[in-house]
Amino acid sequence: MISATRVLQAADDGPLELESIVQALSAQFAVSTGSKQLIRRRRLDTFDRRLRAAGLTLEHQITAPGERLVLGRADESTIVVPVKDLRWPALADVLPAGPVRDAIAPLIGIRALMVASDERRRLRRLELLNDDRKTVARVELDESASAAATPAQVTVARLRGYDDQARRADRLLAALGMRVVEVEQGVDQEPVSGATSGPDRGVPATVILSAALSDFLLTMRENLPGLLDDVDTEFLHDFRVAVRRTRATLKLGRPALSEVMRSRWEPAFKSLGDLTTPVRDLDVYELDLPTMSRWLMTAEPTDLDALAAHLRKKRMVARRALVASLRSARFRQLIRQWGQELTGLVDAPQDTDREILSAGELTDQSISRAYRRVARGGALIRADSPAGQLHELRKRCKELRYALEVLAPLIDQGARRRVVADLKGLQDVLGRFQDTEVQRRAMRGFAEEMMSEGTSAGAVLAMGELIGHLDVEQDRARREFDAAFARLQRPSSLQLMGRLGGGR
Amino acid sequence: MKVLATYNIKGGVGKTSTAVNLAYLAAREGRRTLLWDLDPQAAATYLFRVRPRVKGGGHALVTRQRPIEAALKATDFDNLDLLPADFSYRNMDLELDDTKKRTRRLGQLLDSVAGEYDVVFLDCPPSISLVSENVMHASDTLLVPLIPATLSIRTLDQLTRFVADSQGSRPEVVAFFSMADRRKRLHREVIDAMARDRTRVADTVIPALSIIEQMAERRAPVPAFAPTSRAAQCYEQLWAEVCPR
Repeated sequence: MISATRVLQAADDGPLELESIVQALSAQFAVSTGSKQLIRRRRLDTFDRRLRAAGLTLEHQITAPGERLVLGRADESTIVVPVKDLRWPALADVLPAGPVRDAIAPLIGIRALMVASDERRRLRRLELLNDDRKTVARVELDESASAAATPAQVTVARLRGYDDQARRADRLLAALGMRVVEVEQGVDQEPVSGATSGPDRGVPATVILSAALSDFLLTMRENLPGLLDDVDTEFLHDFRVAVRRTRATLKLGRPALSEVMRSRWEPAFKSLGDLTTPVRDLDVYELDLPTMSRWLMTAEPTDLDALAAHLRKKRMVARRALVASLRSARFRQLIRQWGQELTGLVDAPQDTDREILSAGELTDQSISRAYRRVARGGALIRADSPAGQLHELRKRCKELRYALEVLAPLIDQGARRRVVADLKGLQDVLGRFQDTEVQRRAMRGFAEEMMSEGTSAGAVLAMGELIGHLDVEQDRARREFDAAFARLQRPSSLQLMGRLGGGR
Repeated sequence: MKVLATYNIKGGVGKTSTAVNLAYLAAREGRRTLLWDLDPQAAATYLFRVRPRVKGGGHALVTRQRPIEAALKATDFDNLDLLPADFSYRNMDLELDDTKKRTRRLGQLLDSVAGEYDVVFLDCPPSISLVSENVMHASDTLLVPLIPATLSIRTLDQLTRFVADSQGSRPEVVAFFSMADRRKRLHREVIDAMARDRTRVADTVIPALSIIEQMAERRAPVPAFAPTSRAAQCYEQLWAEVCPR
């Protein structure tokens, strides 16, 4: 296997002469020169760059003789698998069964692999052979085939157990005036983070709010193409999270923001969030179907096929409406005007009757207020509290969580992490409670719709089993509430909240 | 990591050809593959054009004076590495005899590269010895090439008993006919008469074909230099039958 590669190019970035390279290498090796090949290299990754984060590279290489996937790992070893007719974007299940899929699938989960970069290169492979005609190193002369590509390069691939020979090849090429260049890990850029890094507590609160809101707008814009093309369900999810965070930030920033934010933009983003809810809900049901099928005790997993088909049909209709709205001039205008609003946010004149609020003051006020609401709401929960009351508490928890995230650069990180851990526990319990509540109701609604369309008794009975399971799950989550809330209220947590401004 | 050993007490039955061709096919479909040439005759090593030399010899490997990783060599094929033979392997029984857990040492050595490979092939020398016992313990599958002759059946019975009598985990024994010539009456009779219930016998029969003999001349696996040949197709069928799922 290839154990490592080194990339060299001419010192003046000029063209590379095959003849001189072969001549130089022939001093110590027999050189077998392959014919020139046009190769298309498509670097693949998920939108959120999960492969890069894991130290992996995946290339779909297309040449005249065939196609192959090349997986590069952090230890620089590679796995090569022949493939046929792969199209991107696609989920991991299109990868051939074997080590490449085994390495990729758990990392990318439900995210699609997309083309992160695409280039065509003219390539000539030279095999460096020893006396036994054994290949001891591979050299690829890689000449640019498109104007936009990088300068011509030579890649020396080291083969396991033949490191000395590759080093000799390096030296021979260096003697030609070639220099080692850094191996690019990919041409795609790091996601731009709009989050502020360690701002002063004394700066106007609008500075930190503007940075956070701009970051969320960027996320919305980045995810919009994938959402519209339905590349994978995470684009819509991430878009919705950005909308939700925008709404929460507008709410917590009220003391520092102008009235127009409350009167115009808060309702605008609520509408945008609501617009995306039907498709997301249906996505969640579809994604959960494999898990749900494992809940069945008497029915067969195939009894849920009718439900799956029903969900797909509903999703198609809901998605059509969503896409039409997101492609509308109204939406484009909304996003454009929101961008302009944010640009002017920091410079906009403050209300004259209001003092300029500092970031530190806003942090103390909003975390304190958000925490008080959670504490008050949680204390009111009784055994017979209606589901709606728990749902309201869940929303308050989300507001506190977003406040801790948006204002993270201004607060004690250690305390924040520990409070967030407790808060996550409570959110998980409330989330499971509310989700099962919604799913039970939705499942009944789906069953009625399907029965009116003449679905089989088996499908309805299977859905009845699912509702029964959801009942049990909801009860379980409800029983776990007291302990989860108590964890957030224990003295050590209260002390941490005090350090974050929540004790005031 | 799955370990498959090509093994037979007899020599010249197609162990090395099988190991080399199946290892190539495993690697071709993207499995990270290692072939360990345990036979001091070094035929598999020769076929991959690698020099039959391991620094420190079998002694250094068995005693772990040198890590197994240091001895690995890339072949000319993607995803396929070789642990070469060394003439000192002729003394491997003695080396193993001096170690603790002397029947498990080869398996322990392979454990150190378990994360790097999906499939390992062991090309074994023709004998029953301490090396063979190690191979039994280290392998998930024992691939046994049989030339269709009466004595071959007897050899398979001996081997099956040997595996059954061995302590601890036992590999699955999968026999297959190799070097078969349908023109010979005896070969046809033995293949047809083979009692399939005595052990697992692969449906694929590897015929005696000159192109397989050409491996030594071409120094490459058959599917690499004659991908559409009948021999290549036979090895592909055999691999489809025995490959770990």
